[in-house]
Amino acid sequence: MDHDTAPAVTPTPHVAPSSAGLHARGLVRRFGTTTALAGVDVDLAPGRSLAVTGPSGSGKSTLLHCLAGILVPDSGTVTLDGRELSSLDEKGRSLVRRSHFGFVFQLGQLLPELPAVENVALPAMLLGAKRPAALETARGWLASLGLAGMEDRRPGELSGGQAQRVAVARALVAGPSVVFADEPTGALDQATGTDVMRVLTEATRAAGAALVVVTHDRAVAGWCGRRIEMRDGQVVGNVAQREDGPR
Amino acid sequence: MRAVLALAPRLRSAGGADTRTTTALAVLAFAVSTALTLSVVGGLLGFMGRAAAPRNAFEEANAGGYVVLAWVALVLLVVPLLTLGGAAARLGVSRRDARLATLRLLGVTPREVIALTVTETAAQGLVGAVVGVVLYGVLLPVWTLVPFMGGHFTVGELWVGVPVLGVAVVAVPLLAAVSGAVSLRRVVVSPLGVARRHTPRRLGVVRLLVALAGVGLFMVVSLALHALGPAALAFLVGALAIAFSTLNVVGPWLLGVFGRVLLWRARTPARLLAARRLLDDPRAAWRVVGGLGLAGFVAGCLAVLPVMSTGSEAGADEQIFTADLVTGGLLTLVIAFVLAAVSAGIAQAASVLDRRREHALQHLAGVPTELWRAVRRHEVLGPLLFVGVGSALTALVMLSPLIGFAGIEDPRGLALLAGCLTGGVLLVLAATETTRPLARRVLAEPVVRPD
Repeated sequence: MDHDTAPAVTPTPHVAPSSAGLHARGLVRRFGTTTALAGVDVDLAPGRSLAVTGPSGSGKSTLLHCLAGILVPDSGTVTLDGRELSSLDEKGRSLVRRSHFGFVFQLGQLLPELPAVENVALPAMLLGAKRPAALETARGWLASLGLAGMEDRRPGELSGGQAQRVAVARALVAGPSVVFADEPTGALDQATGTDVMRVLTEATRAAGAALVVVTHDRAVAGWCGRRIEMRDGQVVGNVAQREDGPR
Repeated sequence: MRAVLALAPRLRSAGGADTRTTTALAVLAFAVSTALTLSVVGGLLGFMGRAAAPRNAFEEANAGGYVVLAWVALVLLVVPLLTLGGAAARLGVSRRDARLATLRLLGVTPREVIALTVTETAAQGLVGAVVGVVLYGVLLPVWTLVPFMGGHFTVGELWVGVPVLGVAVVAVPLLAAVSGAVSLRRVVVSPLGVARRHTPRRLGVVRLLVALAGVGLFMVVSLALHALGPAALAFLVGALAIAFSTLNVVGPWLLGVFGRVLLWRARTPARLLAARRLLDDPRAAWRVVGGLGLAGFVAGCLAVLPVMSTGSEAGADEQIFTADLVTGGLLTLVIAFVLAAVSAGIAQAASVLDRRREHALQHLAGVPTELWRAVRRHEVLGPLLFVGVGSALTALVMLSPLIGFAGIEDPRGLALLAGCLTGGVLLVLAATETTRPLARRVLAEPVVRPD
């Protein structure tokens, strides 16, 4: 594909008769002799939020990568709104990731050469939006997340909390079905982390997107409607935590 | 100090495949610069040998002129040769920037940080110099195939001698160490400066004035050539050297202006990113394409040569001299192209490694791999065409007092110019594409390591 013209293509993976939202059934993923996921089921309805917790090596990041189509499970299925992702090739999954998913990582996902507003506009432009329209939408998102006046700052000129807010805006700008956050507060102090989690959960909910947060921090997980606890590649706990759902 | 220096080999091995790649590329760049510098010096010594002991009437009459022209070639190639050496040193330290910044934050003194860098970069320079000497030896028979003065040089005539080789083996590591230490100045001055990547300052317009003065000086000297008497040629060569070095002053500034135009016009993600990268560090972009700037400059000069050689009453000697001018010019051009291509490959490899974390995370977020390929193409091609064509035009304007604009109307000259520039651009593009496997490897790693 020529990314000079970046067409707005909607992925059309195989449609299976299933419910809306993100669903995983019997996920198994091995790395050599290590089993990272040993038959995991996940259900996430549209607009709901889910925290995945567990100690290091419990398989929570591998689960996020499988749910987001970054990794292909050795067995099991992942479906988004009834469409199966695991059967897609890398290009197809990449397209799903940028058109249906948003991502917030621990740090470093913003391109240092772009000012905040262009970092946010980039996913929309990659999906075919014209630059002026994408910048306009990006400005709107930054303003709604309390970053008005910081549009032209580079990532290196933002604080950690501000950079994560920009990352949240970037994750939401293309109207995703699901936002995946991998240790989104891992590089922040507690107060800033709380602030970022509030912004992340509220903005995602307002946008009608579902949210998956991988964290080792119970306080961070507490912001989500439901929490699953993982150990040795298996779900060992599944708890409803707070009122949840689309606004 | 001794304890920190003992860290050097550990730091080298800690970077894994990345550090091995950058070390190999840095050594390659040092080797290419050393081999080509020795070759150019060998050519100069060859012509000086002929001037000292002419073998026939032609050499008796013309060898002095050839020596001056060989000096001109050396002057023209000095900047890209040093640039490539500098790029190699910077590449060598680039992957250690973050780790050395961390060491600074842990309390290691500036002097110890510099000592670490100097040790490692000098070692790379030494290996590169030794490989370069071997490469020079391999290239010697190739250079003897190039016709000059109605015949060919022998290997013996182009042999620089053991003392010069010794100087190279000592000088290259020294220059590498100095360049590496200067590159790390940012870490030493402010350890957070590297990690936070602030917006660099804009380059001043004074650079343009310096360049205009340099080019103006050359034009004045060439117009007043007759009044300068026997020293005319020396003045001309000196003014040429000054004019060319001022091109290196104005180059980054012009690329910055060009970047702002590209940014204003950018409609796609690839063009937007390419323009931003160019604006972010026009000096780095110039380091890549500056060599081609020289090549375009030489090509511009070459474009007028066919006109000068077609005088109806030109004798056999004059024809040999003019043909040799074209040969020498083309040889300079080819060397400049090779230097530009190696610089471009090195810079792209450094860029891929420096941006590995951001790119890998973008990949996870669904940004297509093709985007980075398109960015790389735009990032190199835009400045390349701008600088190549721009410097060729500058050369034509500078030479206009000597030959008049009628010279460029000769289709052979323009065809030569267009051919040289196209070849050079394709070569540099090909060199940047060699980083594809590296980029693929960086994106293929499922685990994104924090720096």
